Amino acid sequence: MRLARPVTRQPPETIVALIDVVFFLLVFFMLIGRMDATAPFDVTPPTTETGADMPSGGITVSVSASGDLAVDGLVVDDAALDQAITARLVTTSDTLVRINAHRDTELRHVLPLVSRIETLGARDVVLVVTPETAPPAR
Amino acid sequence: MQDPGTFGIRRPAPSKALISLVPLIDVMLILLVFFMVTSTYLNLDMIPAVKRADDPLDAAPVTTQDTGAPLLIRIGADGVPTLRGVGMDLPALEAMFRDRLQNTPALRVLVLPSGAADMQALVSVMDAATRAGVTGLRVVRLEVAQ
Repeated sequence: MRLARPVTRQPPETIVALIDVVFFLLVFFMLIGRMDATAPFDVTPPTTETGADMPSGGITVSVSASGDLAVDGLVVDDAALDQAITARLVTTSDTLVRINAHRDTELRHVLPLVSRIETLGARDVVLVVTPETAPPAR
Repeated sequence: MQDPGTFGIRRPAPSKALISLVPLIDVMLILLVFFMVTSTYLNLDMIPAVKRADDPLDAAPVTTQDTGAPLLIRIGADGVPTLRGVGMDLPALEAMFRDRLQNTPALRVLVLPSGAADMQALVSVMDAATRAGVTGLRVVRLEVAQ
């Protein structure tokens, strides 16, 4: 009498591994993603080799190539800019102010802005740049 | 009470309902797609423009090291840095900074950009100075008298 070897069944694919992977991806994107308010216009920061790490938090003042201003993603005029920054500095005097200016913005829009923000009481103002490995081609 | 001469069929006890994992997976997938779509991968750095140490009260004590006369670098409207009217490219500017630093380690550099120059021109000059080892750099601008 010949006995047939029983057919080995493939174990059912477990869904636990899928859940693990999805969960890790979720945590990864939550940690990596920046939820900062983006500028309402195109801003490409200047490139540099010697920039320091960007601290988190603070106010972001964006300046477009034509000199338009935005605070934390909202377009403002000069008066509204002063009000917004003053209001934040009243509550937290150590608030960092980041100036995210387009690389083609003329300095007549940026340098007076730095002075104005300093006059309003900001003690930490930084220029946003983006790192590069090779010297900028000019 | 059941009659001993008969037998009854017992209804099977309903099995416990398992908590379904499908809604959890759905929510996680939706969150995953949300974060993938909304994430931005800008690698941003910063250059300090106004530092707390610039305050007179917090400033470091005045050094007695000879700093000499500050070096004034102008940036023209075309973005070209000039020293005493002579334009130079960035490698030449960096080499000049290194040369000056050998004689004057505490070299002070003033950068006076034209208002029509762009941000990249100023950042490139600051970058060249920093690469050369200049630590005392200030950006100045001309104001119209009221």
